[in-house]
Amino acid sequence: MMPPPPLTPPPVWWAWAVLLLPLIGTVVIALAWKLLPGRLAGYLGSLTVGLSFLAGIFAYVGLEDLPPEGRELVSSAFTYIGTGDLNVDLSILVDPLSVFMVLVVTGVSFLIHVYSIAYLGSDRGYARFFSYLNFFVFSMLLLVLAGNVVLLIVGWAFVGAASYLLISFWYRRDTATTAGIKAFVINVIGDVGLVVAAFLILDRLGTLDYLGAFEAVRQVPEGDGTIVAACLLLLVGAFAKSGQLPLHTWLPDAMEGPTPVSALIHAATMVTAGVYLIARFHPLFERAPAAAAVGAIIGTLTLLFAATVALVSTDLKRIIAYSTISQIGYMILGVCAFAYSAGMFHLMTHAFFKALLFMGAGSVVSALGMTNESIDRMGGFRRAMPFTFATFTIGAGALASLPLLSGFFSKDEIIAYTFHRGGLYTVLGICAYVAALLTAFYAFRMVFRVFFGEPVPEAEQLAGGELAHVGPRNPLTGEEEDTDVGFPGPEHHIAERSFPMKAAMAPLALLAVVGGVVAIPGLTAGVETFLEPTFAGSAYLVDRPPEGEQITGLVIGGVLALIGVAAAYFVYLRRPGLAGSAQRRLAGVHAFFFNAWYLNQLYDRLFVRPSRAAGRFGRTTVERFFVQDAIMGGPSGVVRAGTALARAIQTGYLRAYALLLLLGVCALALYFLIASG
Amino acid sequence: MPVLDIPLSIFIVIPFAVGLVGLLLPAKAARWLALVAAAATFAYVIFMIADFAPGGSGLRYVTDEPWIPALGIRFSLGVDGLSLFLVALTALLWLAATVVAALRPADRAFERPRLFFLHLGLAETAVLGAFVAQDLALFVVFFDLMLIPFYFLIGQWGTRERVAATTTFVIYTLVGSLLMLAAAVALGVLSTPEGGRISFALPELAQRTLSEGAQIPIFLAFAAAFLVKAPLFPFHGWLPAAYRAAPLPVLVLLSAVLSKVGVYGFLRVVLPILPDAAVALQELMLVIAVFSILYGSILAFSQDDARLVVGYSSIAQLGFIVLGIFALDDKGAQGAVFQMVTHGLVAAALFLIIGALAGRAGGSESLARMGGIAMRAPVLAAVFLIVSLATLAMPGSPNFVGELLILFGAFEDKIVYGLVASVAVGLAAVYMIRFFQQAMHHRAGPEVASREIGRVDLAGIVPLVVVILGLGVYPQLVLARTDRDTTARIGEARELAGGTSDAQASPPGGVTPGGATVPGEPPVRSPSRPGGEQLP
Repeated sequence: MMPPPPLTPPPVWWAWAVLLLPLIGTVVIALAWKLLPGRLAGYLGSLTVGLSFLAGIFAYVGLEDLPPEGRELVSSAFTYIGTGDLNVDLSILVDPLSVFMVLVVTGVSFLIHVYSIAYLGSDRGYARFFSYLNFFVFSMLLLVLAGNVVLLIVGWAFVGAASYLLISFWYRRDTATTAGIKAFVINVIGDVGLVVAAFLILDRLGTLDYLGAFEAVRQVPEGDGTIVAACLLLLVGAFAKSGQLPLHTWLPDAMEGPTPVSALIHAATMVTAGVYLIARFHPLFERAPAAAAVGAIIGTLTLLFAATVALVSTDLKRIIAYSTISQIGYMILGVCAFAYSAGMFHLMTHAFFKALLFMGAGSVVSALGMTNESIDRMGGFRRAMPFTFATFTIGAGALASLPLLSGFFSKDEIIAYTFHRGGLYTVLGICAYVAALLTAFYAFRMVFRVFFGEPVPEAEQLAGGELAHVGPRNPLTGEEEDTDVGFPGPEHHIAERSFPMKAAMAPLALLAVVGGVVAIPGLTAGVETFLEPTFAGSAYLVDRPPEGEQITGLVIGGVLALIGVAAAYFVYLRRPGLAGSAQRRLAGVHAFFFNAWYLNQLYDRLFVRPSRAAGRFGRTTVERFFVQDAIMGGPSGVVRAGTALARAIQTGYLRAYALLLLLGVCALALYFLIASG
Repeated sequence: MPVLDIPLSIFIVIPFAVGLVGLLLPAKAARWLALVAAAATFAYVIFMIADFAPGGSGLRYVTDEPWIPALGIRFSLGVDGLSLFLVALTALLWLAATVVAALRPADRAFERPRLFFLHLGLAETAVLGAFVAQDLALFVVFFDLMLIPFYFLIGQWGTRERVAATTTFVIYTLVGSLLMLAAAVALGVLSTPEGGRISFALPELAQRTLSEGAQIPIFLAFAAAFLVKAPLFPFHGWLPAAYRAAPLPVLVLLSAVLSKVGVYGFLRVVLPILPDAAVALQELMLVIAVFSILYGSILAFSQDDARLVVGYSSIAQLGFIVLGIFALDDKGAQGAVFQMVTHGLVAAALFLIIGALAGRAGGSESLARMGGIAMRAPVLAAVFLIVSLATLAMPGSPNFVGELLILFGAFEDKIVYGLVASVAVGLAAVYMIRFFQQAMHHRAGPEVASREIGRVDLAGIVPLVVVILGLGVYPQLVLARTDRDTTARIGEARELAGGTSDAQASPPGGVTPGGATVPGEPPVRSPSRPGGEQLP
């Protein structure tokens, strides 16, 4: 297809290198883990991802050298499935959108790999962890580079499997394995949605290749039933993966995984795949505005819902998890309002500040001896952990979208586009602003509760130079860990005392501060230029809010963020009793929010228990009938009848009858044979 | 030209012949001979695959001699794209089972090993014969021959309640076999045209016509035999007892290979010869398939016996295969054949793994007594993980390719069945991950001894895992070779179904919509088919 050019390899070659490097890392670490001394597995894993990032940059540079209309390159290795009208290649699509995702994924992944070298340094599953983590990066890259729907589904399922493996990484904990199976099954529901969507796409558009399908969909009238159905099914996949209502329940539980996993998979990269999916399939969604509206509404509901839960939750990692759900709601709202570059922009800045928040949370949890994640047990860590404090506050500020930090520009761009769509979207925009206020409040609730106030004993101990250590326990159940197998590691690490952790957090803190400058209304349009011409065919590319509207939006967003932070300051630092009395007065509302709107309990009643009951019914009742009563035992059991028959044949008159019967059958057969002859 | 051209009649008899020779040798030599024979058989199959060009079709290695001329029965063998990979699967899994049975340490070896390997060889001959038979009578003979060695293998070398298990197994299978025998005779006789000679040759039978009224009872009799063999719900009554009792190497073959002979029969015998009945009873078969999928999946996640988890999951997987076949769609049939191969691979690997797990849980196969060994047995954990993910048809595994094609085939015309079956994909995730976790994760129980998998088990399992991974990356290896011969088998039934149910979407040339239902007229068939007088 491509003659090898003389000097620089073409972008697709770099893209294949991007994809294969983490796979090589996975395989090498998995096969040679016994031969890798010390922390070599971690260095190896980090190296492959780092090289993958570099290859991604070369792919980007190569793409930039091409004229804009030539920046969609497909490279195919071989036929994967070819039968009848179905023809699927093992092919990758290299275009600005996929390269954008590649850079975000590999960049953040590299930093989190480095962080993990220290954070999991003493874990007995160290090599296994890096093998899984590299496998995750490979899967995520397969997802974003896939050139057709089937390969997308493969990557989609692989990230789900990697997520499962890493959630139940500390598998001696029952809580971890339960969370793992929940995450896996909900993700499979999403996979099924994608498979059915793939069928509808093939049926209506004749191909599963992205470019072919996007070309064909131009001929389809707007609101075509099959395409709307396909888009809705794509949304099922997106919601399952991205923790959106009603398929979000696995994501808070996924915090059972080691904290770097929460940072990488359940915050920065995998869970944003749903946003990428919608952006990737934007030609279909633009033909199905009804489906896009459904996506926008559910995104908005989710961002409100998750913000209310984050407001009252007391588990530090779960607060951040709910804030992830909420922030992805913003991104989904963005891409469903056809504000693609705004959605992708927020995806990028969110990856920076959310990974940073989790890394800080990991450091704090380590300082507590890995025994507890509740913010009720935290406080006053400011002095003992200055680096963690500073970086965590930056992350919280960006999450709260304080003026001039990265989240400020990206989130408010989404809201500005939403208002610009008008009609229904105006309501959604107002909801988004309400949630923005809540976000600022709960972001700084974390900061004030963890780092300010009375220092807890562990904080004082740490300020005195000693890291608390009481032997690992499961933070959820208090159960003592099985130290014989060393999960999690016997030691724990805080950023203040570990260079790799600092080295990973500092660049992210910097990016969380300045990451927004690439797209400031009226000044820069970095993301949009970068993504050209992926969205060139979009009807909504020119239909954008004027600069004035965008700047007004920024001002409103900034004011709301400041009000939220001020309110949190007032409630948690100036009037410490206020939160408690409010909680008592609004006990019902608090319980409703605290239990995450009782959705877990609802699903348990609706799905889990009935299927268990069906299993019991099948095992005890249906099987008894088929296997035991009717067949084996009971007065009319087949086996009993058979054995009785056999006994009768041996002992009595029945033998003669049986012989007669057999002869009769033979005679009948003979008759047919002769008659035919 | 093939590098080696061994006639199929010799090729399929080798395992049995070697078993007979083994009777005369010392026990140890007999074990090694069985192993060498299984390895050689598999090696020859690799030649056969290499020799089969992608996109090719038609019978190879044909043997076609008169056998019982008075009854029109011929000794007719041949391999085509449809059977090629089932023959390969048989040879591979027989090798794996023989490795595990033959190489186990002397203190844990079977009693009477020579007899054991004789039966194993006879069983392989019968299964290979059933896959390559091109004459219906010969197919029936091989199909029934399979019962004899398995009767002894379970009844003599089995565990627990083996007598009751064997009795149930034999009664079920015999009833099915007798029905099939009767149906085969009736088919041969009824389809013989006026003045023509009786024939049981499958291609000849496919050419002859039979009224729909005559086809339906014959179809039902064949279906009963095949569904019992598979088994599908509600014909699975023999499964729990037989699965619990069978020795593991035998169970590998019972679950992974024998079940495929049944569903293979639908494609080889039923659909080409009885297309009108297949169309008329399509809904019935689809209901059975979908019911099996759901029922098997739900029961699989409520079992505590590891063997039964896999056993019930097999019912679900075979339901998928039947769904693909009776979707009467090219993609569905292709997916069904592919799924036969991949399900055989994962089921075999899972049973071998259960053997390893039980060895680490004090001999118990109860999930409640397993657990907590992943840390000290990472290789076992890794292969188990790969096989588990393949079993639940995770995208990227070969099983996903089969399931995708089956679902696409079902969606084409029978979208409701397809959607209901899709639900089971989620259930599969539940029962496989549950199985994996209970066996590998959590805390170790009191009787659990965490140690790495042994070399013998590894030698049996690793080749299967390699094939699973290889087919996951390059499924086209199989698909390109099965494509034409598989779709040819269902072609007629598909056109009949398409002509009546979806005429405007795909107007097949030469078929009158609804033509087959006009009373008094012979069924309308594809133009190539010579019309014949119908028998009353």
